[in-house]
Order: sequence, then C-alpha cells, then structure tokens
Amino acid sequence: MDITLLKVTNLRTYFFTRRGVVKAVDGVSFELKRGECLCLVGESGCGKTVTALSLLRLIDSPPGRIVAGEVRYDRLDLITCTQEELRRVRGKEIAMIFQDSQSALNPVFTIGDQVIEQIKLHLGSEEREARRQAISLMTEVGMPDAERAMDYYPHHLSGGMKQRVMIAMSLSCDPKVLIADEPTTAVDVTIKAQIMDIFRILKEKRQMSLIFITHDLSVVAEIGDRAIVMYAGKPCETGTVTEILKHPRHPYTIGLINCLPDASVTTTRLTSIPGTPPDLIGLPPGCLFQPRCPQAMPICAGKEPQESVVSEGHTVRCHLY
Amino acid sequence: MGKTWLRNYIIKRLIYAVIIALGIMTVTFILIRVGPSSPADKYLSNLAATGQDVSQVVAAIEARYGLDKPIYQQYFDYIINLIQGDWGWSFSTSMPVMELIKTHWIYSFQLIFLSTIFAAVLGILIGIYSAVKQYTKTDYIATFFSFIGISIPNFWLGVMLILVFSVKLGLFKTYYDTTLPLLSLANLKALVLPVITLGTGMLAGYTRYTRSAVLDNLRKEFVRTARAKGLPERTVIGKHVFRNALLPIITIIMFDLGSIVFGGAYLTEIVFGIPGLGQISFNAIFANDYPVVVAVTIIGTLIVLMINLVTDITYTYLDPRIRYD
Amino acid sequence: MDRLVSKVGKNRNLVLVLAISLLGFVGLLDIFVVDKVFAPIVYFYIAFGIVLLLYGVYPLYNNRRLTRYYLDRTKRNRLAIFGLAFILFLILLAVIGPFFTLDPTAVSFEEKNLPPLGFTIEQSVYDAEAGKLVTVSVPGTIRHLLGTDNKGRDMLAMLVSGARVSLQVGLLATLIALILGTIIGVISAYLGGWADNILMRFTDIMMTFPFFLLLVFIIFIFGPNLAIIVLVIGLTGWTGAARLIRSEALSLRSREFVLASKGLGASGSRLIFAHLIPNVISLVIVIATLSIPGVILAEAALSFIGLGDPTVPSWGTVLKAGQQTLDTAWWVAVEPGLMLFLTVLAFNFLGDGLRDAFDPKSGL
Repeated sequence: MDITLLKVTNLRTYFFTRRGVVKAVDGVSFELKRGECLCLVGESGCGKTVTALSLLRLIDSPPGRIVAGEVRYDRLDLITCTQEELRRVRGKEIAMIFQDSQSALNPVFTIGDQVIEQIKLHLGSEEREARRQAISLMTEVGMPDAERAMDYYPHHLSGGMKQRVMIAMSLSCDPKVLIADEPTTAVDVTIKAQIMDIFRILKEKRQMSLIFITHDLSVVAEIGDRAIVMYAGKPCETGTVTEILKHPRHPYTIGLINCLPDASVTTTRLTSIPGTPPDLIGLPPGCLFQPRCPQAMPICAGKEPQESVVSEGHTVRCHLY
Repeated sequence: MGKTWLRNYIIKRLIYAVIIALGIMTVTFILIRVGPSSPADKYLSNLAATGQDVSQVVAAIEARYGLDKPIYQQYFDYIINLIQGDWGWSFSTSMPVMELIKTHWIYSFQLIFLSTIFAAVLGILIGIYSAVKQYTKTDYIATFFSFIGISIPNFWLGVMLILVFSVKLGLFKTYYDTTLPLLSLANLKALVLPVITLGTGMLAGYTRYTRSAVLDNLRKEFVRTARAKGLPERTVIGKHVFRNALLPIITIIMFDLGSIVFGGAYLTEIVFGIPGLGQISFNAIFANDYPVVVAVTIIGTLIVLMINLVTDITYTYLDPRIRYD
Repeated sequence: MDRLVSKVGKNRNLVLVLAISLLGFVGLLDIFVVDKVFAPIVYFYIAFGIVLLLYGVYPLYNNRRLTRYYLDRTKRNRLAIFGLAFILFLILLAVIGPFFTLDPTAVSFEEKNLPPLGFTIEQSVYDAEAGKLVTVSVPGTIRHLLGTDNKGRDMLAMLVSGARVSLQVGLLATLIALILGTIIGVISAYLGGWADNILMRFTDIMMTFPFFLLLVFIIFIFGPNLAIIVLVIGLTGWTGAARLIRSEALSLRSREFVLASKGLGASGSRLIFAHLIPNVISLVIVIATLSIPGVILAEAALSFIGLGDPTVPSWGTVLKAGQQTLDTAWWVAVEPGLMLFLTVLAFNFLGDGLRDAFDPKSGL
C-alpha cells in the first residue's frame, strides 16, 4: 500500500530560445505512492505541464532540454534510460492524458484504430481481441454505444466524449501511473463532474496512482491526496491536500485559496492576486513571487528562500518560515 | 459514412469539369479568331510555297472550316468537331491530327511518368528525412540543393547534361528510337538524361513540399500523444505524421503536374529529341501547321483538367474531415 | 525637408496626377516637337518610379519602425542577402553595362569561337601554307572576356544585353500579371456572390491551361515580338496571384479588425484602401518576388525554342545557339544558362527570405 512508485529528484527543464533561456521547471522533487493522487497546482505557465511532460521525456528537444534531475521508476531513471526502455514504460506503465483532446487525437484515424493501436503494441493482442478490449474500455469510461463509436473520427465527437476516448486509451494497458494534464479545463461543468467520477473510480477500483495537473483548487480538494503548489517553475509549497487547504503557509497558496468564490458569503468583488506571472527569461534573484507578495520582506528580493519543514510532510519555500 | 454523398460529389465535379472543358475550347477558339491571320492563311502560304494549286485547296478549306459562315456557327462547328474527335488535318505530316496525337502521346507519357516516379519517391523520402532531422547538416544540405533544383532552368540542365555526358564523356549517346519497343533497354538508356532533366526540378519541389508538410505535422499535438502511447519513433513518423502529411503532398504533386510539368516536358522533349507531343507541337510551329499546335494545347489542358478532377475526388475521399454524414 | 515630405505625402493622389500630366506633356513634346530623345519605355519606367515612390517608399518611410522590423527579419537570412546583392548587381549590369561592352550584334568571322579568358580550345583551322587542316590551340583573349559565339559576337556583350531583356520582361510582365491578379482577387473577394463565382470560374479555366503550352500557343498565333511576349506572359500568369490574393482578402474581410472598423462606420472604399490593401501588400511583394523568376524563365524558354524576339539578343537565344555548338564552343551554352540559373536562384532566395520575414509564425 505504501510502495513508492515514482521518485522525482531535482527536476530541471530549460528551454533554450533565441531570446534567452526559459527555466520552465527549476528544481521539482516529489514521491508518488501507489494509489495516491498527487496534484500539481498553479497558474498557467508555472511549469506544471512541462514537469509532467518531462517525466516521460516528451519535451520537444530543440529548444527544450532536461538539464538535471532524476525520475526513478521501477529500476530505471527515465531521464537517462534508453529509448527502448522508455518506450516500454510509456503507455504501459505510465500513461498520460493531454489537455486539449481535440488536437491530441489524430484526425485521420478512427478512434477505434487509435485505441486498438496501443493495445496491440503493448499487450500483443490480436485484432479481434484488441477490438473487444477497446469496446469494453470505452463502455467503462461511459462512452454511449461504444461499438459504433469505434468507427467514428475524432471530429465527430464532442469535447467530453473525446476526453473519454483519451482516458480509455490511457487505461488500455493498465498502467500503474496516470498523468492527467488539466482534463477538466476544456469541458463544461456537467461533463467535468462525470469525468471526475471516472477518475475517482479509477483511483479506488484500480488502485491507480494519479498525477493531476490543474489550476482548479476544487478539483484538488475533490480527488487529491498530496499537492505541490508551483510558481514560475519552482515548487513553493508541498504537503497533503487537507493540510494545504486548511493551513496554507505560502502567501501564493493563500492567495489562490482566497480566489475561490465562497458561495456562502455575499461579496461584491472577487479577490485576485495582483500582478502577472513573471517572464521566465532573465529572472531576478530572490523569491520569484516577491513582486506580487502581500507579505514581502526586504530579504525576499535578494535571496532565494530555502525549503523548510512546517509540519509532518508539509514543506514551504518562503522567508516567513 | 454516406457513400451516396461521395457519388453526388463526383457527379457535381464531373459536370463542373465539363463546363471547364467547354470553357477551354471556347478560349482557344477566341484566341484563334482574334489572332492576326485566319487559320487558312498560314496553310495557304505554305501550300503556295510548295507550288501546289491553291484555289482548290482554298475552296476545300473554306468548306471545311466554314470560314464563310457566321461566327457563332463556326464556334458551334468547332466545338462539335472537337468533341467528336475531328481535330483537323496536319499539313506538314499529311495525316489527321488525331492520328498524330494517338501515335505520339505515349512517348510524352513515358517521360512524364518515369520522371514523376523518380521525383516523387526520392523527393518524399528526402523530404521526410530532412524534416525529422531539422536543423542538422543534412537538412541544410538538402534544403540548399532543393533550392538549386527548383531554380535551375530545366532546358539548360538538359543541355548541360548532354554537354557533360554525351559530348565530353561519351556516355548516353543514343537517341530515342521509335522503332524499338517502349521498354527496350536502348530506349530506356536514352531516357536516363531526359528523366533526370525533367525530374530534378520536380524532385526539388517535392522535397520542399514534403519537408514543409511533415514539419507542420510534427508540431501537432497528436504526435505527442503517439509518443506517449509508447509507439516507436518510426511508427510515429511513418504512420501518424505521414498519413496527415500525405494529403497536402499528393495535392501539390498533382497540381504541379498541371502547371509546371507539362511545360517542362515540352522543353525536355525538344532538347533531347523525344518524339512526344511537345516535339510534334514544336515541329508544327515552324511548319506553320496550325491544327497541330491547337490540338496539343487543347489536349494538354484537358489532361490537366482530368488530373485536377481525379486529385479533387481522391483528396475528398482520403480526408475524413471533409466528409458530410 | 520633413515638412515638404509630409505635405507631399498627404496629397499623394494630387501629386500623382500632376506628375503624370507633366510626364505626358514632356512625352508629347518629345513626339511632336523634339526628336525622339527617350524610348517610350523610359516614360513608363519614370511613371512607375513615381508611383513606387509615392505609394511604396513613402508609406515605408512613414512607418519606419515597421519597415525596420521587417528589414531586420529579412537580414537574418544570409541567402536572401546574397540574392538581393546579385539582383542589384544584375540591375547595375543591365543599366550601365551596355555603355561599357562591345556591340553584341557585331559579327566577326576572324574572332569566332573564342573561349573565355583563361581557357583554350583546339580548333581545326585551314593552314594555307601547309595546304590542309591543322589543329591549333586557341586561347581566350582579354578583349572577349567571356569568349565569342560561332559568329564572332562577344559573349559578355550578349549576356549584358540579355540581362536587360530578362529584367525588363521580368519587371513588366510581373507587373501586368500582379495588377491583373490583385484587381481580380480583391474585387472577387469584396463583391462576393455571383461576381465572385464568375470570376473564379474564369480563373479556374485559365488556370487549367498549362502555362507554357498556353504561352507557346498564343505567341504562335500573334507572333514573336518582345512587346507581345511581355503582354502575353502578363496576361496569362495572373491566375496564381489572383487566387492567393482573393483568399487573403476573404480571410481579412471576416477578421475582427475589419468587422470592428465596419462597426465604427467605415465605408467600403475606405475599408479596401486603408485595411485590405495594406495587409495584402506584404503578400503581393512576396508573390512578385517569386513570380519574377518564372517570368524570366518563360521568356528564356520561348527564346530557346525559337519563339523569342529575333531582333533582341536574350539569354534564351544565345543558349539556343550554344546548343548547336556544344563540341566546338561549350561556353556559349554554359554562360547564358548560368546567368539564368543565378538570377532565378537569387530571386528565389530573396522571395523566400521575404516570405519568412513577413510570416509571424516563421520562428525568426
């Protein structure tokens, strides 16, 4: 029950562009246990998607490069292992669902083809068997009339259905870890509820470990066990979801929680965090959140905060602690 | 997936193609009529030069071409004749134009066909490789050479090849011999330089298009999904990317066929003396053999029309996104 | 100075009318009063230059920041710079070259088949003394830097003359094709409906004709005369431009800023001139640069097969002659073709560079 499946140490992924070096991910570390759901939280552009892509080495190699870090899965370091070893992990042990399901599916192949392709690849099944499995998978994720749907092309499906196809595809080889990149962002609220149901069932029934990337704290509250709050490529607060939501320490985390509208209170204005995320080229020294931090101190602009433990399993990077 | 929809589309396109064909024939008719000399004059000047009796021939021509009839009647007859396959009489070769075309078209076809295969196979392979290995030395070299390939005037390339290989090195000295079968070794050898000449420009173009189409698709999200599924890179490129890139590549290849290749084939035939339609048109120009020039122009255009039609239908059939259900 | 420029700029249309009238007046003088001083084509070039200044250079000068932005992006492409340099060199050659070279039509049998400087060739010459044909080694001379053809005409002079022809044909025919294409494209896009339909069907018909075959056909009917060749190339080569421009104009029509402008009450012609055309201009420039090589090649190909203007020495005609003498005078075939090749290459480099510079997605 408490087996650590994935151990990420000091992951750094930089993008080398004409205008400069973008430090998209700068020092992320975490462990993922079996059956656990880890959420990567933050605004757009904070590096959560790049982190997830780095885990499977899916970064476009010029201009991006994983410059440091270790991603330990099983006995392999996914950053340095061979292409062949990586291929065997991708899709089979660790699967990934992407944010924009419209463009993530290949428009010239039927969805049946695309699901079956993965089954045949990793499980070596015959066409007929693979087809049967695909249909049952799609039914499991709630696809109406799965048998006919197999012959549809992606553009025939709605956003919610495409998302289900992606989930079905990722589940097809029974992976131990599922990385989901903002799966509920592009769909409307009713579909969102259904999809969250699917994930919850997966976690409970299949004991699947999830890495959930989102900016939506309600999703984190619903399904997350642990969370990492990221800002400008660096993790600012890590801990269990309950702990973080109840006792947030980092000013950014506090700000994020305050942004959530509380239906029980009538206010005229929604709170937001003032300012905008920094341009990741040519970052200033010191804490990156400092320009927008309501509790900034003089030391924050000069020196980067170190990680300090606040309570059991709860760490923060902030000069306040 | 309504197959009836496809059938309706084909019918619509066929009707449209017929309209275009009529338009083409009309345009040629207008051009002929607007020209400074009537179709008969050039004939007659030649005939007179050879000392034949002109007056009878004049009468025959007038009767045949209806030059005394009102213009809309002439137009009508012109179109009817074309449709029925009566494309006139070739003065310089003393045979019906249709006959001339029937005997010579196969040589043009052979040249164009071989060149297209040569260019398409090489071009697509190099293009894919170049795109996948973008920014490497191989890519830059391939891109540079494709620039050269599309810039080099193909008639000059032909002359240069003859200069180097036939004159200086003494290889490939054979000329195309129509008495030998199409696929005879001697004739195929004689076709090597022409195919390289015509094919080089096409090859360079195809390399560029393929590279650009593949690059466009490499950036797309579904490539990332394919990799995340654990597919080997060769499948990601060879199946997922290629299938998406194929559509624009095929379209452009066929479009090129119509706009550039025919002109290039014309010149290549003349440079190398290949007895195709370009060559007979060229001969006809300097013999003032009017009907042949008209005929070659029309048939070239009609073939392009057919190719466009086929491309259109094929494209629609292949791209699932265009289908209406 | 600045005040003068801005005053002229604001009243461009008026200035244009004045300038053209002045030019016309001078032209009439030229025809009726003085002896023909300028060839008619020069007036055209002057008029074209004025239009270019008023409507091309002035807006660029006004939007200096934008111009510099595009220039910077173009400069990054080294090939494009080489292309531009070669084209400028060619223009220089064409404009002042004829004043420095020998007469390209001067025939001289003693000097026939001379190789370029630095090369020698074996020739069979009749030696009167020995009473038979002897093989002599003939070297190139400085007088005929690039050699002579089989009638003793100087190669360099012919190439320079050919440069003139090619550039003129390139410029004029492309201009005609582009103007025609832009008009048809913009009108078609703007009017829509049945006008668009008819224009596009007509474009379809003309596009189906293989370009070169159509050229040969029309020149055959109308005769190989340089003016006709230029006109015909222009009148047959507009189809591609028309299509591209129409589609760009259509997409612009429904783009937000046009709708916003319409919402603010902008009228039809204002929409066309202030919004549609400037956005189409960058496309037009790219099309122009990439069309010129095709036009030059078309003229050369026509000359090569013998349908060129026989009174004008163009690269194509020289190449045609060279094809006959491959064994005795290979340079006659190599040189004009090389010039053609380099010219086309230069325009392709430049056009490609410009296209990348104007395309915001090209990663420059």
